[in-house]
Amino acid sequence: METKPDINIDRSIGDFHYDVDYEFDAGTGLTEKTIDYICDVKKDPDWIREFRKDALRKFNSMPMPTHWASPDLENIVFDNIRYYLSQGTQPKRSWDDVPEDVKRTFERLGIPEQERKFLAGVEAQFDSEAAYSNIKAAVGEQGVIFVGSTEGLQKHPEIFKKWFGKVIPTGDNKFSALNSAVFSGGSFIYIPPGVKVKHPLQAYFRINAENFGQFERTLIIADEGSEVMYMEGCTAPKFETSTLHSAVVELVALKGAKIQYITVQNWSSNVFNLVTKRGLAHEEAEIKWIDCNIGSRLTMKYPGVVMKGRKARGEVISIALAGDGQHQDTGAKMIHAADETTSNIVSKSISIGNGRATYRGLVQVGRHLKGCKNNTECDALLINTDSRTDTYPAITVRGKENACQHEASVSKISAEQIFYMQQRGIPEGAAMSLAVNGFVNDLVQQFPMEYSVELKRLIDLEMEGSVG
Amino acid sequence: MSLKIENLTANIGDRQILKGLNLEIPKGQVHAIMGKNGSGKSTLAKVMAGHPDYEVTGGSVTLDGLDLFSMGEPDERSRAGLFVAFQYPMEIPGVTIANFIRAALQARLPEGEELDAVEYYEELYKKMDALKIDRKFTSRAVNEGFSGGEKKRCEILQMAMLNPVYAVLDETDSGLDIDALKIVSDGVNAMRSPERGFLVITHYQRLLDYIVPDVVHVMVDGRIVMSGDKTLAHKLEAEGYDWVEKETLATA
Amino acid sequence: MSTLMEKPAAARSAWPAWFQAEQRAALAEYEALPAPARKDESWRFANIKALDLSAFAEATPVASETRLIQASAGLAETSAKLVLGNNALLLREAPALPKGVIFETLEAAASNHADLFKKYFMAQPVELGSRKFAALHKARTSGGAFLYIPANTSVTLPIEIFQWVEGANASVFPHTLIICGENSSATVVDYFKSADRLPALACGVNDLHLARGARLTYIAVQDWSHETTAFHLNSTIVERDATCTALIANFGGGFVRGENLSRLVGEGARSEMFSINPVEGTREIDQRTLQDHVAPHATSDLLYLNALDGKSRTIFAGLIKVEPGAKGTDAYQKVKNLILSDDADPNSMPGLEILNDEVRCSHGATNGPVSAEELFYMAARGIPKDKARRLVVNGFFNSLLARLENAPLRTHLESLVAARLSIA
Repeated sequence: METKPDINIDRSIGDFHYDVDYEFDAGTGLTEKTIDYICDVKKDPDWIREFRKDALRKFNSMPMPTHWASPDLENIVFDNIRYYLSQGTQPKRSWDDVPEDVKRTFERLGIPEQERKFLAGVEAQFDSEAAYSNIKAAVGEQGVIFVGSTEGLQKHPEIFKKWFGKVIPTGDNKFSALNSAVFSGGSFIYIPPGVKVKHPLQAYFRINAENFGQFERTLIIADEGSEVMYMEGCTAPKFETSTLHSAVVELVALKGAKIQYITVQNWSSNVFNLVTKRGLAHEEAEIKWIDCNIGSRLTMKYPGVVMKGRKARGEVISIALAGDGQHQDTGAKMIHAADETTSNIVSKSISIGNGRATYRGLVQVGRHLKGCKNNTECDALLINTDSRTDTYPAITVRGKENACQHEASVSKISAEQIFYMQQRGIPEGAAMSLAVNGFVNDLVQQFPMEYSVELKRLIDLEMEGSVG
Repeated sequence: MSLKIENLTANIGDRQILKGLNLEIPKGQVHAIMGKNGSGKSTLAKVMAGHPDYEVTGGSVTLDGLDLFSMGEPDERSRAGLFVAFQYPMEIPGVTIANFIRAALQARLPEGEELDAVEYYEELYKKMDALKIDRKFTSRAVNEGFSGGEKKRCEILQMAMLNPVYAVLDETDSGLDIDALKIVSDGVNAMRSPERGFLVITHYQRLLDYIVPDVVHVMVDGRIVMSGDKTLAHKLEAEGYDWVEKETLATA
Repeated sequence: MSTLMEKPAAARSAWPAWFQAEQRAALAEYEALPAPARKDESWRFANIKALDLSAFAEATPVASETRLIQASAGLAETSAKLVLGNNALLLREAPALPKGVIFETLEAAASNHADLFKKYFMAQPVELGSRKFAALHKARTSGGAFLYIPANTSVTLPIEIFQWVEGANASVFPHTLIICGENSSATVVDYFKSADRLPALACGVNDLHLARGARLTYIAVQDWSHETTAFHLNSTIVERDATCTALIANFGGGFVRGENLSRLVGEGARSEMFSINPVEGTREIDQRTLQDHVAPHATSDLLYLNALDGKSRTIFAGLIKVEPGAKGTDAYQKVKNLILSDDADPNSMPGLEILNDEVRCSHGATNGPVSAEELFYMAARGIPKDKARRLVVNGFFNSLLARLENAPLRTHLESLVAARLSIA
C-alpha cells in the first residue's frame, strides 16, 4: 500500500537536458561512410560491418509504409539526423566512473536510487551507448549475462551470433532495416538454464541530443526453464526538431522459459518512436509483453510472439494514452506455429483532445495445427469530441480445432458517472482522472508496483486540462 | 440553521417538474417526503445535487444560509455538506470503493494536505463493519456487479465516511429485503445528531418504521401539499393518496 | 468470339446516346486504372490472380429463354417480376404494383425517366477497392432493373428480379437500382443465377437509395455457378429515419468479391447489413464493408456468417467509420466463421475508425469449429456425422434469418438455405 513512487518517468521530470561533449559523432545523414564510422568506433567484426551495409541497402530500397501507416512518417528527414553520438563505447561498472555531465542526468531521473532499491541490474543508455551497466554480484554469479549489445557481441559472440537477427529479419520492415544498419546500445541478456532472476533487470534509454536518432538493439535469450523480467523506461527532452527512436528487440524463450518484457514509454512529443519487437517462444515457453505508451509524437509498435513450440504462450498487455497532437499506433502480432499454443491480447487506449489511438492486430494460426487459441480484447476510451480511435485487426485462424475471438468496444465516460462522483465532492477533472484510471486499472495491476503507482500519476498528469 | 427550500421550480427539457416547492428541515431533524411515482421526489434530490439535465427556473435552496445554486458545480455543493444517496447509484468501472471514498475525502482537504492513509483505513473498516459490508469490498469497483442491497449499503457507507451536514436519501429502501433495510436504517439512525438534518424520500411507509421521521410531507405534482407527523405516513399507507389530492384540490 | 475490350455492336445498344458516351468514357477509365495489387489495403489477403478477366467475352443472347423464364420462380406471392438473361429483358410482369411505381429495365428508365436515372445511377463513388471493375460495369451494363417507389407508397408483396447468365465465359453486368421515396416501403428479392455449370463473369452493381422514412428489405440470392467470377458492388444511402435491411446470400460463385457500403446520412437512419456464406471446395468469398456514419443518432448493425469447408477461403474486411459530427452513433459489426475443415482459410479484418466520442460502437470476430458436443448429441440420436454437420451449419445461418420480420420471406430463404446445404 505505502509504496512511494520510485521511478521518475513523469514527462516534466524528463524534460531537461545538459550540454555534453561527445567524443564520437558520426555527423548528420546516413551513407556507407556513416556505417564505416560506427563500425570503426565500435570495432565491429567484419560480419557485422557487412550485416549493417546489407541492411542499409534494404532500408534504402524499401518504401515508407504509408499505404497503411500514418503519412506523418514522411516528415522524418533522414538526412538531418545524427546517427551516432557517444563519449566512448565502454559502459562503466560504477556510477562513480560515469562522467559527471552524463551522471547528473541519470541521477535526476532517479536511476541509481532505484537500482539500490529493487533492481537486479541496470543499464543506462545515453544517446548511442550505455554509460553504465552493472548487475548485482549474486545475479552475475548465477551465470546471468547482462551487458550492452556492443559488449555482448564482443565477449559472447557464440551466443550472440546464434540468435541475432533471427527473430526479426533485417528486411522485416523499413525501420528494422534502419536499426540493423546503425544499431548501437541496447541490452544483451542471457539467462542460463533453470535460473530464475528474482528481481527485474532494467534498462533506461535517454536521448539527450537534438536531431538525434537512437537505435538500440536488445537481444534476450532465456535458456531452458529460466525466468526473467526486463523493464525499460525511456525519456527525452522536448526539442523543436524531431527526434527518431527506432529500436529492435528480439526475445528468445527456450523450452519452458518465461520472459516478461515491460516498457513504459514516455518520450517527449517530438519523438518518432518506431520500434520492432518480437519474441520466439519454444515449447511450453511464455513471452509476455507489457507495454505502456504515453509519450511521443507518433509511436508505431506491435510487439509480437511467434509460438513455434508446442504449448507455447504469448501475451500482449497494452495501454496507450494519446494526448493532444499524439498518435499511438500500437498493437500486437501473434503467430501460432505449433499445436496447443495460446495467445492473449488485451489492449486499452485512451484518446484525449485530438489525440488518436490506433490498434493494429495480426493473429495467425497455421493450417493443420490443433488446439490453438487466441483471445483479443480492445477497448478504447474517448475523452473529448475530437478524440479519435481506430481498430484494424487482421485475423487468419485456420484449422477446425482452433478457436479465436476478437472483441472491441469504444466508449466514453458517461456524464452520469461524472455527476455521481461530483456529488461525492470530487471535482470534475479529478473525477475524469479517476474514471480513466479505473478504465485501465485491471491492466495497471499487471505492472510491478513501482510502475503502477507511477502510471497512475502519469495518467493524472495527462488528464489535466482535458476537461472544461 | 436549516436546509431551506423556497418556491423552487425546475424543468427537464420543456417540462416543468417542480412547481414552487417549499420545505424547511431544521438541523437535527429527519423529514420524510412521500408521494406517488412521478410527483417529482427524485427530481428534487437531483436538482439539489446539481444534475446537469435539470434546469432551475426559480426559487432557492440554502444550507444554513448558504445559497446552494450560487455554488455551481455538484462537487462544490457536496463539499459544502450536501449528500445525496441515489435511487440508482452509478457503476464506476475499475475504481475501487477505497480509492473512490479516499478521493472524495482528499477533495475536502486544503491544497497540499494529504489524507492519513492508516487513519483512513481504520475509519473505513469500522464503518464497513457497522454496515455489515465485507472488508473485501474495499477493492471492488464502485457498485460494479453489486446487488441492489449492496449498492444501497455502499451509498450509506459513503455518507458515513463523508459526514454531510444534510443528507437526502432517495428511495433508499427500494430493492431492499427486511434484513438489509434494518442494516441501512441502523446506519442512518447512528448518524442522527443535532448537527445533521435528513430528508428521506420514499414511496412506502415501511422505511419510516425504522427511520422515524419528525415530520412527514406529501408531494403532489411538484409541490408539498400537506405536512404532518409520522401518523400521516400510516394514513397514506392505509388509504393511498387519492384523499390527499381531493383535499388539496378542495382547498386550492 | 468478341472479348470484353471490344466495343459491343452499336445496333444492340438500347441506351440513349448520352449514356453511350458515358460508357465509352467508363471503358477508357477501366483501361487506364491499374489492376489491384496485394499491397493495396483494400485488397489485403485478396487473390489477385483471380482478377484476370482475359478469358471472358461479351455474352450472346440466351438460347434457353423459355426454360430460364420457367426457372425464375421464387416466392409464392409477389407484386412484380423482372427476368433478365445475358443482359437482356426476358420477362416483365407487374400484376400488383401500386400506382406510380416504376419497375422496368435500366435502359428503359434511362430514356423514360432520365432525370431519376441521372440523379441516382452509380451516383456514389466506389470506395472499397473496385473502382476499376465499377468502370467496367458501367461501360458494359445493359438490361438491369430499375425500381422507383413514389413517396408514401407501400408495395406490400415482394418484388422479384432474376438475372441469368448462360454460356461458357459469358459476361453479364447485372444492375439493380432501387429508389425509395419518402415514407415508402418495399421488399425486393434479387436472384443471380447461372443457366449452366460453366465459367462466366458477373460484374454487378446495385444501388439502394432510401429517402426520409423509407423502409426497404433487399435480399440478394447470389447463386452463380461455382465456376463464376463475380463482383457485386453495392452502395446504400439511408436518409433520416429510413431503415434498410439488406441480406446477401452467397450460395454460388468460384471467386466472389463483394463490396457493401452503407452510408447513414440522416438522423435516426438505420441500416442492417447481413450476409450468409456457405463456402466449400476452392471457392473464395472476399467481402469488404463500410458502415459510414455521417449523421448523428443513426444505427448500423452488421452480421456476416461464413461456414467454411474444404479448401475454401473467406475474407471479411469491415469498417465502421464514425464521422466527426455523428454523435449518438450506435454501430455494431460482427463476423463469425464456422470452420468445418483444416484447409479452410478464413481471414477477418473487422475495423473501427471513430472520430466522435459520443458513440456506442463495438465489433467482434470469432472463429470456431462445430461443437463436438453438438455432433456427439446428434450422433447419439442416430444422425450421421456429415448430416449432423450440415444441420449445424443450417442452424448457424437460420439464426440470422430469424432476424427478418417478413415471415413468408424468411420461410422462403430458410428453404433456399436448406436446399443449398442438401438438407431434405
